[in-house]
Amino acid sequence: MTEAAQETKTTSEDWEPKIVAFCCNWCSYAGADLAGTSRIQYPPNARIIRVNCTGRIDPEFILAALDMGADGVLVSGCHPGDCHYTSGNLKMRARWALIKRAVEQAGIDPRRIRLQWASASEAQIFADGVTLLTEQVRKLGPLRGQWR
Amino acid sequence: MTEPVSVAMGQGSSCWGCYQSLVDIHLRLADVLPKLDIKFWACVADFKHKDLESYPDGSIAVGFYEGVARTEEDLHLLKTMRKKCKTLIAFGSCSCFGGIPGLANFYDIEDALKVKFKDNKTVSGGQVPTENVPPFEPVIRPNSDYVDFDIYLPGCPPTSDLIFTAVSALLEGKEIELPPYAVCHYCNREKKETPIPEILRPYEGVADPDRCLLEQGYVCLGSATWGLCEGQCVNRGATCRGCFGPVPPISQDQGAAGVGMLGTYAPIEPDKILEKCKDPLGMFWRFSYPSSHLGRIRIRREEAKTK
Repeated sequence: MTEAAQETKTTSEDWEPKIVAFCCNWCSYAGADLAGTSRIQYPPNARIIRVNCTGRIDPEFILAALDMGADGVLVSGCHPGDCHYTSGNLKMRARWALIKRAVEQAGIDPRRIRLQWASASEAQIFADGVTLLTEQVRKLGPLRGQWR
Repeated sequence: MTEPVSVAMGQGSSCWGCYQSLVDIHLRLADVLPKLDIKFWACVADFKHKDLESYPDGSIAVGFYEGVARTEEDLHLLKTMRKKCKTLIAFGSCSCFGGIPGLANFYDIEDALKVKFKDNKTVSGGQVPTENVPPFEPVIRPNSDYVDFDIYLPGCPPTSDLIFTAVSALLEGKEIELPPYAVCHYCNREKKETPIPEILRPYEGVADPDRCLLEQGYVCLGSATWGLCEGQCVNRGATCRGCFGPVPPISQDQGAAGVGMLGTYAPIEPDKILEKCKDPLGMFWRFSYPSSHLGRIRIRREEAKTK
Protein backbone atom coordinates (compact mmCIF):
# COMPACT_ATOMS: atom_id res chain seq x y z
CA MET A 1 0.00 0.00 0.00
CA THR A 2 1.32 3.46 -0.80
CA GLU A 3 1.92 5.86 2.05
CA ALA A 4 -0.76 8.26 0.80
CA ALA A 5 -3.35 5.48 0.75
CA GLN A 6 -2.38 4.50 4.27
CA GLU A 7 -2.70 8.09 5.46
CA THR A 8 -6.27 8.38 4.21
CA LYS A 9 -7.10 5.05 5.76
CA THR A 10 -5.83 6.07 9.18
CA THR A 11 -7.93 9.23 9.19
CA SER A 12 -11.15 7.82 7.71
CA GLU A 13 -14.10 6.79 9.84
CA ASP A 14 -13.85 3.08 9.25
CA TRP A 15 -10.37 3.00 10.83
CA GLU A 16 -9.71 -0.07 12.93
CA PRO A 17 -6.94 -0.26 15.53
CA LYS A 18 -4.01 -2.46 14.57
CA ILE A 19 -2.81 -4.41 17.57
CA VAL A 20 0.30 -6.59 17.62
CA ALA A 21 0.02 -9.28 20.29
CA PHE A 22 3.07 -11.24 21.39
CA CYS A 23 1.96 -14.45 23.12
CA CYS A 24 4.18 -16.98 24.82
CA ASN A 25 3.93 -20.51 23.51
CA TRP A 26 3.23 -22.20 26.83
CA CYS A 27 0.52 -20.07 28.42
CA SER A 28 -1.06 -17.25 26.46
CA TYR A 29 -0.87 -18.77 22.99
CA ALA A 30 -2.54 -21.88 24.38
CA GLY A 31 -4.97 -19.56 26.19
CA ALA A 32 -5.76 -17.84 22.88
CA ASP A 33 -6.27 -21.26 21.33
CA LEU A 34 -8.68 -22.17 24.10
CA ALA A 35 -10.51 -18.87 23.62
CA GLY A 36 -11.01 -19.92 20.01
CA THR A 37 -12.17 -23.46 20.70
CA SER A 38 -14.43 -22.21 23.51
CA ARG A 39 -15.92 -19.68 21.04
CA ILE A 40 -15.24 -16.70 23.27
CA GLN A 41 -15.92 -13.49 21.37
CA TYR A 42 -13.19 -10.85 21.21
CA PRO A 43 -12.19 -8.16 18.69
CA PRO A 44 -10.31 -9.38 15.61
CA ASN A 45 -7.85 -6.47 15.75
CA ALA A 46 -5.02 -8.36 17.43
CA ARG A 47 -2.40 -9.96 15.16
CA ILE A 48 -0.98 -12.69 17.33
CA ILE A 49 2.70 -13.54 17.08
CA ARG A 50 3.81 -16.66 18.90
CA VAL A 51 7.11 -16.51 20.75
CA ASN A 52 8.62 -19.24 22.87
CA CYS A 53 8.68 -17.08 25.97
CA THR A 54 7.97 -13.45 26.80
CA GLY A 55 11.60 -13.32 27.89
CA ARG A 56 12.47 -13.78 24.21
CA ILE A 57 10.79 -10.50 23.30
CA ASP A 58 13.45 -7.90 22.63
CA PRO A 59 12.17 -4.44 23.64
CA GLU A 60 13.00 -3.47 20.08
CA PHE A 61 10.14 -5.70 18.82
CA ILE A 62 7.64 -3.61 20.75
CA LEU A 63 9.10 -0.24 19.79
CA ALA A 64 9.61 -1.28 16.15
CA ALA A 65 5.96 -2.39 15.98
CA LEU A 66 4.83 1.06 17.10
CA ASP A 67 7.29 2.71 14.71
CA MET A 68 6.14 0.61 11.77
CA GLY A 69 2.43 1.32 12.09
CA ALA A 70 0.91 -0.66 14.95
CA ASP A 71 -1.50 1.39 17.07
CA GLY A 72 -1.07 -0.80 20.14
CA VAL A 73 1.05 -3.68 21.43
CA LEU A 74 -0.05 -6.47 23.74
CA VAL A 75 2.38 -8.77 25.48
CA SER A 76 0.83 -11.81 27.12
CA GLY A 77 2.69 -14.45 29.09
CA CYS A 78 2.63 -16.91 31.95
CA HIS A 79 1.95 -15.70 35.48
CA PRO A 80 5.11 -14.71 37.39
CA GLY A 81 6.53 -17.87 38.91
CA ASP A 82 4.88 -20.12 36.30
CA CYS A 83 7.36 -19.57 33.47
CA HIS A 84 8.20 -22.67 31.45
CA TYR A 85 11.81 -21.45 31.48
CA THR A 86 11.69 -20.45 35.19
CA SER A 87 12.34 -16.71 34.85
CA GLY A 88 11.66 -15.48 31.29
CA ASN A 89 8.51 -13.60 32.24
CA LEU A 90 10.26 -11.93 35.18
CA LYS A 91 12.79 -10.54 32.72
CA MET A 92 9.96 -9.24 30.58
CA ARG A 93 8.29 -7.70 33.62
CA ALA A 94 11.49 -5.82 34.49
CA ARG A 95 11.95 -4.63 30.92
CA TRP A 96 8.32 -3.64 30.71
CA ALA A 97 8.63 -1.12 33.55
CA LEU A 98 11.39 0.67 31.64
CA ILE A 99 9.72 0.39 28.24
CA LYS A 100 6.44 1.75 29.54
CA ARG A 101 8.06 4.79 31.10
CA ALA A 102 10.28 5.41 28.05
CA VAL A 103 7.25 5.23 25.76
CA GLU A 104 5.48 7.75 27.96
CA GLN A 105 8.52 10.04 27.94
CA ALA A 106 8.64 9.90 24.15
CA GLY A 107 5.15 11.35 24.04
CA ILE A 108 3.15 8.19 23.31
CA ASP A 109 0.15 7.37 25.50
CA PRO A 110 1.21 4.37 27.65
CA ARG A 111 -2.35 2.98 27.38
CA ARG A 112 -1.36 1.85 23.89
CA ILE A 113 0.77 -0.94 25.32
CA ARG A 114 -0.33 -3.64 27.71
CA LEU A 115 1.37 -6.46 29.59
CA GLN A 116 -0.86 -9.19 30.94
CA TRP A 117 -0.53 -12.64 32.44
CA ALA A 118 -2.88 -15.35 31.13
CA SER A 119 -2.31 -19.06 31.64
CA ALA A 120 -3.31 -21.80 29.18
CA SER A 121 -6.64 -22.26 30.96
CA GLU A 122 -7.46 -18.54 31.24
CA ALA A 123 -9.04 -18.03 27.83
CA GLN A 124 -11.47 -15.45 29.23
CA ILE A 125 -8.66 -13.36 30.76
CA PHE A 126 -6.83 -13.39 27.44
CA ALA A 127 -9.93 -12.36 25.50
CA ASP A 128 -10.78 -9.64 28.06
CA GLY A 129 -7.24 -8.26 27.76
CA VAL A 130 -7.49 -8.02 23.98
CA THR A 131 -10.91 -6.37 24.27
CA LEU A 132 -9.69 -3.86 26.84
CA LEU A 133 -6.61 -2.86 24.86
CA THR A 134 -8.54 -2.61 21.58
CA GLU A 135 -11.15 -0.35 23.18
CA GLN A 136 -8.47 1.82 24.82
CA VAL A 137 -6.63 2.23 21.53
CA ARG A 138 -9.87 2.85 19.64
CA LYS A 139 -10.59 5.75 22.00
CA LEU A 140 -7.07 7.17 21.55
CA GLY A 141 -7.28 6.93 17.75
CA PRO A 142 -4.54 6.07 15.25
CA LEU A 143 -0.99 6.50 16.56
CA ARG A 144 -0.03 8.45 13.45
CA GLY A 145 -3.08 10.66 13.72
CA GLN A 146 -2.73 11.47 17.42
CA TRP A 147 -0.72 14.63 16.87
CA ARG A 148 -2.71 16.17 14.04
CA MET B 1 56.64 12.20 -0.61
CA THR B 2 53.20 11.58 -2.04
CA GLU B 3 50.63 14.26 -2.86
CA PRO B 4 48.74 15.50 0.21
CA VAL B 5 45.15 14.29 0.54
CA SER B 6 42.55 17.04 0.34
CA VAL B 7 40.21 17.16 3.34
CA ALA B 8 37.32 19.34 4.48
CA MET B 9 36.14 19.51 8.08
CA GLY B 10 32.61 20.73 8.57
CA GLN B 11 30.64 21.12 11.75
CA GLY B 12 27.00 21.56 12.54
CA SER B 13 25.58 22.13 16.00
CA SER B 14 27.87 20.38 18.45
CA CYS B 15 30.41 20.98 21.19
CA TRP B 16 33.44 20.82 18.84
CA GLY B 17 34.78 18.04 21.06
CA CYS B 18 35.41 15.64 18.18
CA TYR B 19 37.84 18.07 16.54
CA GLN B 20 39.37 18.65 19.95
CA SER B 21 39.94 14.90 20.10
CA LEU B 22 41.47 15.03 16.61
CA VAL B 23 43.93 17.69 17.78
CA ASP B 24 44.62 15.49 20.83
CA ILE B 25 46.47 12.98 18.67
CA HIS B 26 49.22 15.32 19.80
CA LEU B 27 52.76 14.65 18.55
CA ARG B 28 51.44 12.28 15.92
CA LEU B 29 49.94 15.40 14.30
CA ALA B 30 53.46 16.05 13.04
CA ASP B 31 53.19 12.87 10.94
CA VAL B 32 49.61 13.46 9.82
CA LEU B 33 49.37 17.18 9.11
CA PRO B 34 51.93 17.42 6.26
CA LYS B 35 49.98 14.73 4.40
CA LEU B 36 46.73 16.71 4.60
CA ASP B 37 45.71 19.48 2.26
CA ILE B 38 43.07 21.25 4.36
CA LYS B 39 40.46 22.80 2.10
CA PHE B 40 37.97 23.84 4.76
CA TRP B 41 38.09 23.83 8.55
CA ALA B 42 36.15 26.74 10.03
CA CYS B 43 37.03 25.57 13.54
CA VAL B 44 40.73 26.42 13.27
CA ALA B 45 41.02 28.97 10.44
CA ASP B 46 38.91 31.69 8.90
CA PHE B 47 37.09 29.71 6.23
CA LYS B 48 33.68 30.86 4.96
CA HIS B 49 30.89 28.87 3.36
CA LYS B 50 31.69 30.44 0.01
CA ASP B 51 35.20 28.94 0.19
CA LEU B 52 33.73 25.46 0.38
CA GLU B 53 31.10 26.27 -2.23
CA SER B 54 33.74 27.48 -4.70
CA TYR B 55 35.38 24.04 -5.07
CA PRO B 56 34.18 21.85 -7.96
CA ASP B 57 31.75 19.06 -6.96
CA GLY B 58 33.50 15.88 -5.78
CA SER B 59 36.90 17.58 -5.80
CA ILE B 60 37.72 17.02 -2.12
CA ALA B 61 38.85 13.51 -1.24
CA VAL B 62 37.64 13.24 2.35
CA GLY B 63 35.11 15.20 4.39
CA PHE B 64 34.41 15.01 8.13
CA TYR B 65 31.06 16.24 9.42
CA GLU B 66 30.65 16.77 13.15
CA GLY B 67 27.40 17.61 14.94
CA VAL B 68 23.72 17.65 14.04
CA ALA B 69 21.66 19.85 11.73
CA ARG B 70 19.90 22.05 14.28
CA THR B 71 19.80 25.17 12.09
CA GLU B 72 19.24 25.77 8.40
CA GLU B 73 22.90 26.77 8.11
CA ASP B 74 24.02 23.37 9.47
CA LEU B 75 21.79 21.66 6.96
CA HIS B 76 23.18 23.75 4.11
CA LEU B 77 26.74 22.93 5.18
CA LEU B 78 25.95 19.22 5.46
CA LYS B 79 24.52 19.11 1.95
CA THR B 80 27.40 21.16 0.55
CA MET B 81 29.91 18.84 2.20
CA ARG B 82 28.22 15.84 0.58
CA LYS B 83 28.40 17.52 -2.83
CA LYS B 84 32.05 18.49 -2.60
CA CYS B 85 33.53 15.40 -0.91
CA LYS B 86 34.11 11.99 -2.45
CA THR B 87 34.12 10.24 0.92
CA LEU B 88 32.03 11.74 3.69
CA ILE B 89 32.55 10.61 7.27
CA ALA B 90 29.93 10.99 9.99
CA PHE B 91 32.32 12.14 12.69
CA GLY B 92 31.21 11.54 16.27
CA SER B 93 28.00 10.23 17.81
CA CYS B 94 26.01 13.40 17.11
CA SER B 95 26.66 13.03 13.42
CA CYS B 96 26.02 9.26 13.45
CA PHE B 97 22.97 8.95 15.70
CA GLY B 98 21.87 12.41 16.88
CA GLY B 99 23.85 12.34 20.11
CA ILE B 100 23.43 14.72 23.02
CA PRO B 101 21.93 17.59 20.95
CA GLY B 102 19.31 15.05 19.83
CA LEU B 103 17.95 15.00 23.39
CA ALA B 104 16.30 18.32 22.48
CA ASN B 105 13.67 16.17 20.75
CA PHE B 106 12.33 15.28 24.21
CA TYR B 107 10.56 18.64 23.93
CA ASP B 108 8.97 20.44 21.03
CA ILE B 109 10.82 23.42 19.56
CA GLU B 110 8.71 25.96 21.45
CA ASP B 111 9.54 24.43 24.84
CA ALA B 112 13.21 24.21 23.90
CA LEU B 113 13.30 27.89 22.88
CA LYS B 114 11.56 28.82 26.11
CA VAL B 115 14.22 27.15 28.24
CA LYS B 116 17.14 28.41 26.18
CA PHE B 117 16.08 31.98 25.40
CA LYS B 118 12.74 33.21 26.73
CA ASP B 119 12.61 31.95 30.33
CA ASN B 120 16.33 31.49 30.75
CA LYS B 121 17.21 32.05 34.41
CA THR B 122 20.26 34.17 33.59
CA VAL B 123 18.51 36.75 31.37
CA SER B 124 15.54 39.04 31.89
CA GLY B 125 13.12 39.76 29.07
CA GLY B 126 14.82 37.13 26.93
CA GLN B 127 13.89 36.84 23.26
CA VAL B 128 14.67 34.35 20.53
CA PRO B 129 17.33 36.01 18.34
CA THR B 130 16.25 36.52 14.75
CA GLU B 131 18.88 38.88 13.31
CA ASN B 132 22.13 37.63 11.77
CA VAL B 133 21.49 34.06 12.91
CA PRO B 134 20.16 31.13 10.90
CA PRO B 135 16.60 29.91 11.71
CA PHE B 136 16.10 26.66 13.63
CA GLU B 137 15.00 23.39 12.11
CA PRO B 138 11.73 22.33 13.82
CA VAL B 139 13.16 19.00 14.95
CA ILE B 140 16.54 17.25 14.94
CA ARG B 141 16.67 14.48 12.37
CA PRO B 142 19.66 12.14 12.13
CA ASN B 143 22.11 13.46 9.51
CA SER B 144 21.76 10.23 7.56
CA ASP B 145 18.18 11.27 6.73
CA TYR B 146 19.54 14.17 4.70
CA VAL B 147 22.68 12.74 3.09
CA ASP B 148 24.40 9.38 2.63
CA PHE B 149 27.57 8.81 4.60
CA ASP B 150 30.36 6.50 3.50
CA ILE B 151 31.82 5.90 6.94
CA TYR B 152 30.42 6.18 10.45
CA LEU B 153 32.98 7.01 13.11
CA PRO B 154 31.02 7.26 16.36
CA GLY B 155 32.12 8.30 19.82
CA CYS B 156 31.56 11.17 22.17
CA PRO B 157 34.22 12.02 21.23
CA PRO B 158 35.88 9.36 19.01
CA THR B 159 39.09 8.53 20.84
CA SER B 160 42.32 10.03 19.55
CA ASP B 161 43.66 6.55 18.83
CA LEU B 162 40.58 5.69 16.78
CA ILE B 163 40.91 8.91 14.80
CA PHE B 164 44.61 8.28 14.22
CA THR B 165 43.91 4.74 12.98
CA ALA B 166 41.13 5.97 10.71
CA VAL B 167 43.06 8.92 9.31
CA SER B 168 46.20 6.83 8.72
CA ALA B 169 44.17 4.23 6.83
CA LEU B 170 42.58 6.94 4.71
CA LEU B 171 45.94 8.50 3.88
CA GLU B 172 47.25 5.16 2.71
CA GLY B 173 44.08 4.64 0.67
CA LYS B 174 43.16 1.53 2.66
CA GLU B 175 39.76 0.54 3.99
CA ILE B 176 39.12 1.48 7.61
CA GLU B 177 38.62 -1.66 9.63
CA LEU B 178 36.48 -1.14 12.70
CA PRO B 179 36.27 -4.22 14.96
CA PRO B 180 32.58 -5.04 15.59
CA TYR B 181 32.87 -5.92 19.31
CA ALA B 182 30.93 -4.54 22.27
CA VAL B 183 32.60 -2.71 25.15
CA CYS B 184 32.51 -5.92 27.26
CA HIS B 185 35.02 -7.46 24.84
CA TYR B 186 37.63 -4.99 26.09
CA CYS B 187 36.58 -4.97 29.75
CA ASN B 188 39.03 -6.67 32.17
CA ARG B 189 36.50 -7.22 34.94
CA GLU B 190 35.38 -10.70 35.93
CA LYS B 191 31.83 -11.79 35.12
CA LYS B 192 30.11 -14.61 37.02
CA GLU B 193 26.61 -14.74 35.46
CA THR B 194 24.71 -13.81 38.58
CA PRO B 195 21.39 -11.97 38.58
CA ILE B 196 21.42 -8.70 40.54
CA PRO B 197 19.11 -8.28 43.55
CA GLU B 198 18.96 -4.48 43.38
CA ILE B 199 20.04 -1.63 41.14
CA LEU B 200 22.51 0.91 42.53
CA ARG B 201 23.06 4.51 41.53
CA PRO B 202 26.71 5.41 40.83
CA TYR B 203 27.10 7.18 44.19
CA GLU B 204 25.88 4.21 46.25
CA GLY B 205 28.21 1.67 47.84
CA VAL B 206 31.81 0.96 46.87
CA ALA B 207 32.35 -0.99 43.66
CA ASP B 208 34.63 -4.04 43.59
CA PRO B 209 37.36 -3.07 41.09
CA ASP B 210 37.68 -6.60 39.70
CA ARG B 211 34.05 -7.61 39.09
CA CYS B 212 31.59 -6.72 36.34
CA LEU B 213 29.92 -3.43 37.28
CA LEU B 214 26.55 -4.59 36.00
CA GLU B 215 26.63 -7.67 38.20
CA GLN B 216 27.26 -5.42 41.19
CA GLY B 217 24.07 -3.53 40.37
CA TYR B 218 25.43 -0.48 38.55
CA VAL B 219 23.73 0.17 35.22
CA CYS B 220 26.53 -0.24 32.68
CA LEU B 221 25.58 -0.11 28.99
CA GLY B 222 28.78 -1.82 27.86
CA SER B 223 27.06 -4.85 26.37
CA ALA B 224 24.81 -2.65 24.21
CA THR B 225 27.58 -0.35 23.05
CA TRP B 226 30.14 -0.51 20.27
CA GLY B 227 33.56 -0.94 21.87
CA LEU B 228 35.66 1.34 19.63
CA CYS B 229 36.70 3.11 22.87
CA GLU B 230 38.45 -0.12 23.92
CA GLY B 231 36.75 -0.04 27.30
CA GLN B 232 38.32 3.16 28.63
CA CYS B 233 35.63 3.96 31.18
CA VAL B 234 34.85 0.46 32.47
CA ASN B 235 38.51 -0.37 33.02
CA ARG B 236 38.93 2.80 35.06
CA GLY B 237 35.94 2.18 37.30
CA ALA B 238 33.15 4.14 35.61
CA THR B 239 30.07 2.56 34.07
CA CYS B 240 29.59 2.72 30.31
CA ARG B 241 27.03 5.35 29.29
CA GLY B 242 26.81 4.14 25.72
CA CYS B 243 28.52 7.00 23.90
CA PHE B 244 29.73 4.90 20.95
CA GLY B 245 26.20 3.94 19.96
CA PRO B 246 24.88 0.49 19.06
CA VAL B 247 27.11 -2.45 18.20
CA PRO B 248 27.15 -3.09 14.41
CA PRO B 249 24.80 -3.26 12.58
CA ILE B 250 24.48 0.29 13.87
CA SER B 251 20.92 0.60 12.57
CA GLN B 252 19.67 -1.34 15.60
CA ASP B 253 18.10 0.34 18.60
CA GLN B 254 20.76 0.78 21.29
CA GLY B 255 18.31 1.82 24.00
CA ALA B 256 16.12 -1.22 23.42
CA ALA B 257 19.19 -3.44 23.63
CA GLY B 258 20.14 -1.76 26.90
CA VAL B 259 16.68 -2.24 28.38
CA GLY B 260 16.71 -5.88 27.29
CA MET B 261 20.13 -6.34 28.87
CA LEU B 262 19.11 -4.81 32.19
CA GLY B 263 15.93 -6.94 32.31
CA THR B 264 18.03 -10.07 31.85
CA TYR B 265 20.35 -9.20 34.72
CA ALA B 266 17.78 -7.71 37.07
CA PRO B 267 14.52 -9.72 36.94
CA ILE B 268 13.22 -7.82 39.99
CA GLU B 269 9.96 -6.01 40.85
CA PRO B 270 9.09 -3.13 38.49
CA ASP B 271 8.85 -0.63 41.37
CA LYS B 272 12.38 -1.39 42.53
CA ILE B 273 13.71 -0.80 39.02
CA LEU B 274 11.82 2.44 38.42
CA GLU B 275 12.91 3.81 41.77
CA LYS B 276 16.52 3.74 40.54
CA CYS B 277 15.95 4.30 36.81
CA LYS B 278 13.78 7.38 36.92
CA ASP B 279 14.57 8.47 33.36
CA PRO B 280 14.92 5.40 31.12
CA LEU B 281 14.69 7.42 27.90
CA GLY B 282 17.60 9.61 28.95
CA MET B 283 19.55 6.70 30.38
CA PHE B 284 19.36 4.14 27.59
CA TRP B 285 18.78 6.38 24.56
CA ARG B 286 21.14 9.16 25.66
CA PHE B 287 23.27 9.10 22.51
CA SER B 288 20.94 7.58 19.93
CA TYR B 289 17.47 9.03 20.54
CA PRO B 290 16.81 10.66 17.11
CA SER B 291 17.75 7.51 15.19
CA SER B 292 15.86 5.10 17.50
CA HIS B 293 12.29 3.84 17.02
CA LEU B 294 10.88 6.08 19.75
CA GLY B 295 12.82 9.03 18.34
CA ARG B 296 11.42 8.38 14.85
CA ILE B 297 7.87 8.44 16.18
CA ARG B 298 8.61 11.73 17.95
CA ILE B 299 10.16 13.26 14.80
CA ARG B 300 7.08 12.37 12.75
CA ARG B 301 4.92 13.94 15.41
CA GLU B 302 6.89 17.20 15.45
CA GLU B 303 6.99 17.38 11.68
CA ALA B 304 3.24 16.87 11.44
CA LYS B 305 2.82 19.97 13.62
CA THR B 306 4.70 22.21 11.22
CA LYS B 307 2.86 21.02 8.12
